[in-house]
Amino acid sequence: MTNSKYPEEILQSLEDYNIDIRDFMPGHGSGAKLLLDFNKIKGLEEVDGVILEGREIENGIVADIIIKEGTKIEDPVHLCFGVNKETGLQEIFPRIIAEDNTEVTLQAHCSFPKANGLIHKMFGHFYIGKNCKFAYNETHYHGEKSGATVAPVAYIYVGEDSIFENTFNLTKGTPGKVKIMIDIYAMKNSVIRSTIRAFGKNKNDSIRIRDSVFLEGENARSIIKMKAAAKDGGEVLMYGITEGNAPHCNGHVECNEIVLGKGSICRARPFIRAIDPLSSVSHEASLGRFPQKWLDELQAKGLSEKEATQILIEAMLRET
Amino acid sequence: MLLELKDIVIPTLDKKRIILDQTSFGIKEGSIHAIIGPNGSGKSTLAYTIMGLGNYKLSQGKIIFDGIDITNLDITERAKLGITLAWQEPARIEGLSIPKYISLGIKDQSNVNEKILEALQIVNLEPEKYMNRYIDESLSGGERKRIELAAAIAMRPRLILLDEPDSGLDMIVIEDFLNIFNKIKELNMTILLITHREDIGMVADYGTLIWRGQHLLTDTFPKVMVKYCAKAGLKEFCKRTLFDENRECPAFDSDYIDRIFREEGID
Repeated sequence: MTNSKYPEEILQSLEDYNIDIRDFMPGHGSGAKLLLDFNKIKGLEEVDGVILEGREIENGIVADIIIKEGTKIEDPVHLCFGVNKETGLQEIFPRIIAEDNTEVTLQAHCSFPKANGLIHKMFGHFYIGKNCKFAYNETHYHGEKSGATVAPVAYIYVGEDSIFENTFNLTKGTPGKVKIMIDIYAMKNSVIRSTIRAFGKNKNDSIRIRDSVFLEGENARSIIKMKAAAKDGGEVLMYGITEGNAPHCNGHVECNEIVLGKGSICRARPFIRAIDPLSSVSHEASLGRFPQKWLDELQAKGLSEKEATQILIEAMLRET
Repeated sequence: MLLELKDIVIPTLDKKRIILDQTSFGIKEGSIHAIIGPNGSGKSTLAYTIMGLGNYKLSQGKIIFDGIDITNLDITERAKLGITLAWQEPARIEGLSIPKYISLGIKDQSNVNEKILEALQIVNLEPEKYMNRYIDESLSGGERKRIELAAAIAMRPRLILLDEPDSGLDMIVIEDFLNIFNKIKELNMTILLITHREDIGMVADYGTLIWRGQHLLTDTFPKVMVKYCAKAGLKEFCKRTLFDENRECPAFDSDYIDRIFREEGID
């Protein structure tokens, strides 16, 4: 990609997530893509059935992404929101519509390799129609100086008989100040799977994530998995929220957080609520260290406790 | 002897009760040695203590491995000397790939993929079906046990402690596991097999009977089994199992069995 005009540092940071950068460079690979360098649109490619429109505003862009009815595409739609500056404000307003009977994966990358006072905000609205399979994967890299402030908010409506999979990964580099809020509204017979992974690595890393699912339709199902680690003074707070508001809906919140080193803090606040007598909502959370049996199993293979813990953290935070 | 237990006493963690009392026996290198006894008799505790798990400490005695006193060594140090344990119910560590898990104990990481493939083949798992999978809920109990065994084999330890490898498996699978134990033995690894099933122990050369926290007998496995059956009052089962036409006859006849049962007050 040396012939591209896109900042090499951003491309390099995505390789750390095992993302093939050719997939989303305009003119390379296949699939639709929207490429942003700070607040300028540097590339935009559509494919049949996918409408991509971007409009630059003072501190960012408004992007409309529409998956036309019946469109089923294997190649992900790539969205790259990179900033190769230390400071500045980037605001993204995506409006994403998947019409009925569509199947698509959106792969979003937010990479800020030089961040040192940088602010990134996102305010996203998703509308997923009926009978869709929609996956949204977002990977973040905020550099190594804990210098980013990142605050995405997403409201997501998932229509009847649709499957929505959300994956958010913030495991490489140092996150800085992160505050994420996701609200997902699940209609009849829909299935929601949301997985969040984050790793706070020093005292300047503070991560707060609120992932909420509102089971509004009969027989809607959901699982929220929140996995985090905090070391050397890092702080992680995860709210996993599920409401059972319809008959026969079923939701579960699972939170696993590992604390490494003194001064680090992991907190989990599962909040579950059922207002329909035929609904079922549950949660489980474990914080602190890994189960002793897991450590024993790995130590019986000759690993020290420290090595075993490192292996288990890598496994827990492995991106899918 | 590869492993010698010298007059060991294992108390509970709060030291208020004895789990295994005054036990001494040895395990010969290259053998399969079964520890049998009813549920709750202290068999798994013995395996965990030999492995060096933190909650299992001796209040008395010594554990000698290949001439080295390992009593005060921790689990990692013992593993590095060549002892490992395959758990009765190994954990499902989501996110850890099967090849990575098997490779963890391989000291020499050169040609590591070949070593992983070989270990999978020894436990009768088709490598192409498992090299891209993870230690997660998609694995059946039997598959997970085989992977645990493969990880132990890949280490090439001198002593493998197998904690009830037969639990939760059907008879067809168990026959396969017995063949795997013999393959491990052919690779010059010694097996300490913990089981409460006497028929599983028939694969063993030697045995030790643990009964309610007491070491009762260490001898050739058939003799240990007779003693176990006599304690449990299972005479017909004992004869049927020992003189099964598919098995090699033990070096004693049914008169020996009758005598041992009489010693226990059973005609």
